[in-house]
Amino acid sequence: MKKVRYSYLPQQFGNPDEILNEIRKFLGKCQFTLGPEVAQFESSFASLIGTKYAVGVGSGTDALKLPLKALDIGYGDEVITAANTFIATAGAINEIGAKPVFVDVTPYYTLDAAQVEAAITPKTKAIMPVHLTGEPADMTAIMAIAKKHGLHVVEDACQAILAAVDGKNVGTIGAAAGFSLHPLKNLNVWGDAGVVVTNSEEMYAKLKLLRNHGMANRDEIAVFGYNSRLDSIQAIVGNWIIRQTHEITAARIANGAHYDAAFSKMEKHVRLPFRRKDVRRVFHLYMLHVDAKHRDPLVEFLLKNGVDAKVHYPIPLYQQKGLAHLGYRPGQFPETDRQAREIFTLPVDQHLTLEQQDICIDTVRKYFEAHA
Amino acid sequence: MKKVPFVDFAAQFQYERDAILKAVTGVFERGDFILGKEVELFEQDFAQICNARFAIGVANGTDALILALRALGVGAGDEVITTSNSWVSSAAAIGLLGAKPVFVDVNDDQNISPDAIEAAITPKTRALMPVHLTGRCADMPRIMEIANKRGLPVIEDAAQSVTAKISGLTAGSAGTIGCFSLHPLKNLNAAGDAGVLTTNDEKLANELRLLRHHGLKNREEVVHWGYNSRLDTLQAAVLRTRIPRLEGIIKRRRANAERYTSALAGVVTCPVERPGEWHTFHVYVIQCERREELKAFLADRGIDTKIHYPIPIHLQEAARYLGYKKGSLPNTERQSTRILSLPVHSYLSNDQIDWVCESIHAFYR
Repeated sequence: MKKVRYSYLPQQFGNPDEILNEIRKFLGKCQFTLGPEVAQFESSFASLIGTKYAVGVGSGTDALKLPLKALDIGYGDEVITAANTFIATAGAINEIGAKPVFVDVTPYYTLDAAQVEAAITPKTKAIMPVHLTGEPADMTAIMAIAKKHGLHVVEDACQAILAAVDGKNVGTIGAAAGFSLHPLKNLNVWGDAGVVVTNSEEMYAKLKLLRNHGMANRDEIAVFGYNSRLDSIQAIVGNWIIRQTHEITAARIANGAHYDAAFSKMEKHVRLPFRRKDVRRVFHLYMLHVDAKHRDPLVEFLLKNGVDAKVHYPIPLYQQKGLAHLGYRPGQFPETDRQAREIFTLPVDQHLTLEQQDICIDTVRKYFEAHA
Repeated sequence: MKKVPFVDFAAQFQYERDAILKAVTGVFERGDFILGKEVELFEQDFAQICNARFAIGVANGTDALILALRALGVGAGDEVITTSNSWVSSAAAIGLLGAKPVFVDVNDDQNISPDAIEAAITPKTRALMPVHLTGRCADMPRIMEIANKRGLPVIEDAAQSVTAKISGLTAGSAGTIGCFSLHPLKNLNAAGDAGVLTTNDEKLANELRLLRHHGLKNREEVVHWGYNSRLDTLQAAVLRTRIPRLEGIIKRRRANAERYTSALAGVVTCPVERPGEWHTFHVYVIQCERREELKAFLADRGIDTKIHYPIPIHLQEAARYLGYKKGSLPNTERQSTRILSLPVHSYLSNDQIDWVCESIHAFYR
């Protein structure tokens, strides 16, 4: 049996000597905190995305929390976000004392702009669209609503490096955007790390304060801040991999296209999500839909046959028992619920071979040959 | 002139570089970058050196404090009693959660005054947060007596005081939760940001593990809100190479401190260890007259000194909303004008220490 693994880290870092050499040099210089490696990464990242500024922080979660905090959002405020997102988006909003307000999503997994407006209350301070799976949200519509109601937009771009919509890279559109550099992301390092981008000088200055204890200088504390710094060692790994980002992105897009072509021929059993034209989706995750009754058996079948399939995510946040205090009712977000029942994820990374993709495709086909 | 740097990372890393690279390579080869085995093993080692049952690795010392407060349910409207002469994180952690840091004054040893704690307790007090400043424990026997009487949990800010002891109690094992920083400048240091908590309470240990990982009990289920604050596996591997050396490092620092104290007693106020104390000398802080002049004089002689910290937190811009004024904490404020940290790291030679002592004598002559 040929296996198709989900994690590609052993291949990606198969020859780590270049990175380890850099770490060796770094250990000799002993400038551990916010040193030149971090500055170099920030400058490369800002040019990659096309913003004036980038600020390296401790994690993708922190990359969402810090810009919200910089906008003075906190206790008693509400932030609107997508009901189908990963816990970190809502966790970041909660962490600064604000309340996440969920809104249902489009068939392509991102915040439904039409429903955002209905969720706005006098307490709403910001909208946090999530470019889930690497699919950009409808930023033009979201920005128009934000402008009309005087709300901030902070983009959750954790899964969407180099995704673009209406000709603009995600992260360049809102007041700020957070990216994750977690080991499983398209641009990945060897531990937790994140980065915030912005075009606003004021936001940039606040982010630099907030990630480093609110220190105006060594002795003076301007605000109570966090400790959330991009680790220098992780920045070294980031500097090595950031040069490959365009290739990684192109490879994932090509893999997505190969899957799309194959699975669109299996439309009786497998449905692609709605594919908008004129966006660049970067396939952090490749997700497909099947009838709900087939999803769990199919995933089990794939796993049994060596294909490392996953589900992102089977329980929507608003249905999590631990978040019951938010007061949502089951069934309140039908599109999110439908997705949670139907979706599964196949490996789509840049190291995946065509042969491996074809194994994934064949295995899905075999399942339906047996179960149709 | 002999140069005396305040820290000597180069010496430490020169010595340890191969061990560290080997540890990093090991993590890399296992591809096990988030939590995992290395973190677990570090946690076991760390709990052991602290005489605590459990240790939970997190991203940094500040997060350790935030998570401890959260685990104990501290939030908006609550008060937490702490000191103002600390690194800003102790107060910031309280403030960021919407609670109010209540600053009380310190004793001559720079640690929190138990009498002042007792006087500051109100019905809103939700926790006590003594800081074991400079590498020496606050008066934990008295603090625990007060806490137990009032039914208050105690969060030990032990960021500077790993393995410090008082009356047989090890820092981080006497209170409800201990919080440590493993920042490169600490006695037990990672090659980047890292932190760890200790507790003897299994329920709290589990709660802290949830809090550091988004409140997720498995890949799919959220138990409650959480954070992303994980000790980097790479840093855990670095730390594990260093734990066996910690005792030796602290012995060197103690010997350096003793050499200072025997030469400087009577010239400046030295941090004298009292019976029952085990001071780990994260910093060696003297209290002296004409501090700024002395600092400049020593700098001219190649001696690097620091001030931990020149502006107490209650007088910082960040704390203005709390309403403290100059004069609110007389001991703290007086000390902030008199304290000076001398180099005490484990790579100092006796010659270097003697040069510092000679220079201080020369200044006051």
